[in-house]
Amino acid sequence: MASRLVDGLEVVRAALWPKPLAWATGYALLLPALLVVGLLALGLVYIVDASFRELDTRTFLLAETYSLGNFQEIWERTVFWRITGRTLLAAVIVTAITLALAFPYAYLMVRTRSSLLRKLLLISLFLPFFIGQVVRAYGWLIILGQQGIANTLLQQIGLGPFRLIFTYETVIFGLVQYMLPFAVLMLAPALAAISEEVELAAESLGARWWEAMLNVVVPMAKPGFVAAGVVVFTISLTDFAMPAVLGGGTNDFLANSIYHAFFRISDPGLASALAVILVAIGSTIVAILFAWLGTGTLGFRKSSGASA
Amino acid sequence: MTKGVVLWTIVGANLILLAAPTVIVLAASFTSGNIIQFPPDGFSLRWYARLLELTDFRDAFWRSLQVALICTALSLPVGTLAAIGLARYRVRFATAIQVYLLLPFTVPLVVSGLGLMFLFGAWGILDQLWPVGIATCIINLPFMIWAVAASVNALDPDLEHAAANCGAAPLPAFLTVTLPAVMPGIITGGLIMFVLAFNEFIVSLILTDARTVTLPVLVYNSIRSVVTPDLAAVSVVYIVVATTAILLLDRLVGLDTFLKSR
Amino acid sequence: MRSRSTPPLWRRRQLLQTAGATALGAATLGLPRLGFANEPAKPAELIVRAWGGVWVDALNEGVSAPFSEMTGIRIRHDLTEDNEIQPRIWAAVAQGRKPPIHINWDTSTNATKSAMRGVTVDLSDLPNLEGLLPAATPVGLDGFPIVNVYSYVYVLAYREAVFPDGPPDSWNILLDPRFRSRVAVYNDGIGFHPAAQIAGGGTFEDIPDNMEPAWEFIRQLKAQNPLLGEDPDFTNWFQQGEIDVACTIISNAREARANGIDVAWTIPKEGAKIDTDALWIPQGLDDNETYWAKQYINYALTLEAQQPWLDRLGLPGVRPGVVPPADLVGDPAYPTTDEDFARLISVPTPILAEYERDWFIKFTEIMQS
Repeated sequence: MASRLVDGLEVVRAALWPKPLAWATGYALLLPALLVVGLLALGLVYIVDASFRELDTRTFLLAETYSLGNFQEIWERTVFWRITGRTLLAAVIVTAITLALAFPYAYLMVRTRSSLLRKLLLISLFLPFFIGQVVRAYGWLIILGQQGIANTLLQQIGLGPFRLIFTYETVIFGLVQYMLPFAVLMLAPALAAISEEVELAAESLGARWWEAMLNVVVPMAKPGFVAAGVVVFTISLTDFAMPAVLGGGTNDFLANSIYHAFFRISDPGLASALAVILVAIGSTIVAILFAWLGTGTLGFRKSSGASA
Repeated sequence: MTKGVVLWTIVGANLILLAAPTVIVLAASFTSGNIIQFPPDGFSLRWYARLLELTDFRDAFWRSLQVALICTALSLPVGTLAAIGLARYRVRFATAIQVYLLLPFTVPLVVSGLGLMFLFGAWGILDQLWPVGIATCIINLPFMIWAVAASVNALDPDLEHAAANCGAAPLPAFLTVTLPAVMPGIITGGLIMFVLAFNEFIVSLILTDARTVTLPVLVYNSIRSVVTPDLAAVSVVYIVVATTAILLLDRLVGLDTFLKSR
Repeated sequence: MRSRSTPPLWRRRQLLQTAGATALGAATLGLPRLGFANEPAKPAELIVRAWGGVWVDALNEGVSAPFSEMTGIRIRHDLTEDNEIQPRIWAAVAQGRKPPIHINWDTSTNATKSAMRGVTVDLSDLPNLEGLLPAATPVGLDGFPIVNVYSYVYVLAYREAVFPDGPPDSWNILLDPRFRSRVAVYNDGIGFHPAAQIAGGGTFEDIPDNMEPAWEFIRQLKAQNPLLGEDPDFTNWFQQGEIDVACTIISNAREARANGIDVAWTIPKEGAKIDTDALWIPQGLDDNETYWAKQYINYALTLEAQQPWLDRLGLPGVRPGVVPPADLVGDPAYPTTDEDFARLISVPTPILAEYERDWFIKFTEIMQS
């Protein structure tokens, strides 16, 4: 029954997609995805267009004519430099800390012989990943507030209370926690590809365990590090929720500036110009990293740079 | 220090870091007091009872569910076909196509949100819910393609050749050999897409209004009002959905697949 | 300024009993017909943009809940921030889509901008405009594209325990090193710019042309590492012990006090900014929705709505006969006499409509540097 249905479908397919069209099959399969992502590309066209139009503050409409006014304004206003610097610094710090924390986690998860422990580590990873950023930020607000559990515990041993939320450090802390699952999940497959015997061989040649780790495992896991690093860096660089919830209003990132330019001072032109700059910074850095280190495991195809 | 001690110290810190917000939110939701404090005032289910009365949150929950379903329904065919097309067929400009398909990840979410707001606004569909579902599909599509591509890449091409050599026509070969073989990737991708759409925040914040507001946006707005335990009870909805998704993932494909080298 | 947030669920004690509400019409209610021969169909719900915390509670208790009970129309409160709803409404009207809300509860400044842009519905046929105090009339606009609904003062709120010798008498207290990291103002500085101008040694007459004294004061405030927030944040931060002093609207401080926190407020010697909030209806709604939105605003102008609404907020209304809550009788932060008003700084709304955006930008620039 089922096979007759399949045969019937095959007849329809053969009629609609005859053999001479076979060369195009790959493109046909890709077409829906190209169209869906095309919507985003179209949206970007609107943004680029708006970025070259200045706001007329008498009518609060964008100008009909193109100009570089928005970019000039951003260039001249030091605050945007500060915010860009703050965002980049945070993204670098978050990437470094996250990779440092994620590596041992991924390593233990891949190497452990206990399937129960492996499952536990995986669940601990997926649970926050699947819960989402907003609920987690809310959790940190409860934990780190002036009367939260952290300060309560500190006071019991005679310290504090400290201002633990609404600082730059808290935003970075929240981002590290947010990014950890991404980093571990991108690192783990690369580590799984490294045979344990390689490490044992290094150690049998007299290397200490941490030397074997740094000189053997880490270099071999490079594609995983590149992929994890790029993902963590770009997501941190463009984050909105953590600075908004944990930043206390004075630790905005570029994404917050874009949102505020659009929704708080109603300037779509300035917001779009900032958006173009953020995209430019992000893609330039990613392009440099890719050119320097390869695409790591980020590609969809086995052949194109995917490791191991 | 031994390797084990160092590893376990770092992993232990990681585990606390990962679990803390979830555990605290869960604990806070059972308080009997009016404000969240530690130690809690006592145990009660009153905030859960309150949940049932909150029509705004209930409506937002259903809207989030719809968004997640639309997103998943769209991503499954689109992502699966694209992954097979990329991994199995010779296409020209493959690298350029890959970079293009990674666009949703290289474009910051806030920028994607604004761009889609411009676009949907110009098309006059900004005040509806289904475009939010499409938006969540767009911004997370690479996850779907990755998941399926991993399965396709793991699939032995000889199997498909064998099917072809045995006289199987292209479509039956696809349906009976390729599709079942990549099913784990499709299930994984589908679940991830569903959960991420259910959680999606910043793009939804930009695209929704009071008539279409989804649950994460409503939770975010509440955080900016007064922090109270009923919000913790709402958040537990997320913990339940996440747990269900993880159990499904483990049962259907096994969490271990994420550790396989690609 | 001010909050984008959801209705404080835990406080919605009275769920609107729309199901049981009698479907009374405007006529039976004593609501006027507003020029329709037959009463237009009732929408299932009206969406009113509001501020979070005590603000939405007060609106619900004083206006929305009774209005629902009378008409059977459910009122939903959208707590999108006032600045953030503005571009959404403007875009919707420009693109011919239905605006996201039916009634905007807005600062008079933002409301004036929307009126100047022509996206508001004329309210001059509301019967209850009759007999309102002069503060209700919009400044710098023709007729009633918006209607002001009460006045309020941006006071200096403080924790009593840290001022055992009596209230601080100057905004300079915000710069006291004792309160480093323990001061708060609005996230765009709204309500604070004129006070900072005077406290920074400038003059009222120099607003808006020379605001440098204000910016200098705000630069010093930045060094204090202040928290920047929206209405409910001030209530929260006082309640959770995060701050000791703040420039905020009296209602937020008074709400913390009502919740048992020792917060008080004062008008410093430099004065404090007084302003008004307004209600208005965006264009592009269906006729029947516009009709019932007008009925809502009309009801909000009655004494029976203003009294409970503004009791909870602690603000003077625009309907003669609204009496101050007992705790605010004689309080200069609830201005009633000429002497009270003389201590306050009133910047004309047209000036604010033209310049406030620039002040927000300047403030943000200092604070984010």
